[in-house]
Amino acid sequence: MTFENNFINHSKEYIFLDNETILNQREKVFKKIIQKNYDKKNNESLKNITISELGKFNYFYKPQKEDPTISLIDNSNYEIRVINGICKNYEDDNIEIRNFTNLDFKRFLNQDKNNFDDIIIDINNVFLNSGIFFNIKSESRLNIRLIHDTSDNFTIFQNNFINFKKNCEVQLEDHFHLKHNSINNINYNIEVEEDAIIKHNIFQNFSNSNKLYLTSNTVCKKNSSYNQNTYNFSAGFVRNFHHAHLNGEFANASLKGCFFLKDDNACTNKTNIIHNAENCVSNQTYKGILNNHSNANYYSNTFVSENAQKTEGYQLSKGILLTDNCSFFSKPELRIFADDVKCSHGSTIGPVDESALYYLRSRGINKNQAMKMIISSFIEEDLKNLDSESAKIISNNLSDYLNSLVND
Amino acid sequence: MIFLNINNLNVSIEGKKILNDFNISINEGEVHAIMGPNGCGKSTLANVLAGNEEYEVNSGKVIFKNQDLLDLNIEERAQKGLFLAFQYPVEIPGVNITPFLHASINSKLKNEKKPELDNLSFAKLLRKNAEELGISTDMLKRSINTGFSGGEKKRYEILQMSILNPELTIFDETDSGLDVDALRIVTEGINRFKNPKKSFLIITHYQKLLDYIRPDYVHVMRNGKIVKSGDISLATEIEASGYQNF
Repeated sequence: MTFENNFINHSKEYIFLDNETILNQREKVFKKIIQKNYDKKNNESLKNITISELGKFNYFYKPQKEDPTISLIDNSNYEIRVINGICKNYEDDNIEIRNFTNLDFKRFLNQDKNNFDDIIIDINNVFLNSGIFFNIKSESRLNIRLIHDTSDNFTIFQNNFINFKKNCEVQLEDHFHLKHNSINNINYNIEVEEDAIIKHNIFQNFSNSNKLYLTSNTVCKKNSSYNQNTYNFSAGFVRNFHHAHLNGEFANASLKGCFFLKDDNACTNKTNIIHNAENCVSNQTYKGILNNHSNANYYSNTFVSENAQKTEGYQLSKGILLTDNCSFFSKPELRIFADDVKCSHGSTIGPVDESALYYLRSRGINKNQAMKMIISSFIEEDLKNLDSESAKIISNNLSDYLNSLVND
Repeated sequence: MIFLNINNLNVSIEGKKILNDFNISINEGEVHAIMGPNGCGKSTLANVLAGNEEYEVNSGKVIFKNQDLLDLNIEERAQKGLFLAFQYPVEIPGVNITPFLHASINSKLKNEKKPELDNLSFAKLLRKNAEELGISTDMLKRSINTGFSGGEKKRYEILQMSILNPELTIFDETDSGLDVDALRIVTEGINRFKNPKKSFLIITHYQKLLDYIRPDYVHVMRNGKIVKSGDISLATEIEASGYQNF
């Protein structure tokens, strides 16, 4: 179906259907997309894509029959199932969760101030059909597991808002259980209030008929900490675009990711950290293993505003190319307007270290096993801070990936 | 049984000939030393024997324990009992020493159709051998050679040798970069390992190492072949007047 037909038939469905302001805004965004009114040269959201192709999809969304659930494993462990973009409304002393309603339109409009010129977010706004509001209350100490279940052929355009209140400590996990042929365009708006410490682990592993466009926009206030780790083992296309704004003094943000590609798979990644306050620290690190004809991009960006003195901002990308036919494009960018900062970037992309392979084999370890050891060592550092259950998930995914290499 | 016999071995890398009709025979329990100026092909010899695929073997034969070594790949050679102690052991961050060595010894035992070592038996063996070499248990928790000093790397090579228990060990300039104390510790480790069933090929520039490990034979290598063989006195002669007389 064409983009125009999708817009005519589906842009007025479900949430905000009665809100004229938003419908007008959608119209405006629609025209922008149609007219291809983007700065193509400097816009990473447009790299390696054809706008007209992006708009061709079969919009499909209907309220699900299955009831989404929230399981309380104990007082601090929550498992939340989001089925086709919808969750169960719930509130207790620690957390408030509810689906977006028409009353939330102001919040939806306000998100624009932090959004970048991103066509995926524009499409998300035009077809928005679901959204969840999470309010994690002050002083809470929680582990939240969020499971995104998307049924066959569904197109999910979701906008989520997470507010981590003051001094809470939360480990949030996102798991994507996508069935077949689904499109998932999910945008997170995250606010981390003063002294809050957030660990956000994102696990992506689904079949090649699905697509996931995951965007996050995080605002960190004074003394807060936001650590995001993305693990992508998917056979389907994944776009990870993650932004963080360090708006309060002594805040820190870390946006890290690992991806494991094979066959003709592709993924595109962007991290962007904006330092707006003094004494903040940021890290952006993405690592990838690529096999067969797979390809990946990684754009990292650190922006240090004039008043963000004593900033520390680090960027790193590493890639291992297992064949001559795969490719990894990495582009680090630093824009610094303060004069008392420590910033760096680095990028290494190449084949498996032959001297390491030779060394291991010279001790009697066969080539496949030696390859597995080297590839596992590549992300060993990134698994250190995971709890045992998350480490087990990654370890199993990695093992499947490594076995697929050996079987090639 | 022919233990190691290299016959008219010709080797090149990127079209440049390095080994030129190279010949040597080593019997079980013998210690041979090869000395020679820079670029004469000593390290090439060590790497070709270990199976480094960067080198092209143009002609010749290498028989090791009655089998053509050149038919075997890198790991098969190690499993058959050949060990190369590297001149520059490579750092492999993230690959932990203990599981790596455990996998190594078990692949060798499996190849020999012997029972593999369980975690406990291996831990005991590793701790005992590490203690003998003055290697702390903390070091065994680290990644392979990562952040090690020159002396630690060489000591760790000797530890690997003692665990894998090879029949033929090639030391590729093991003495390079070692101070006197480190050299003594390393050579003590080698001497402890010597017995009538083990053979050694020691590649070195200096007599000092050979003073600690008394070789049965010393060979001088130039332009890719052995030009003179003798006993330890040959090393003394080289120390006094260099390689110009050979």
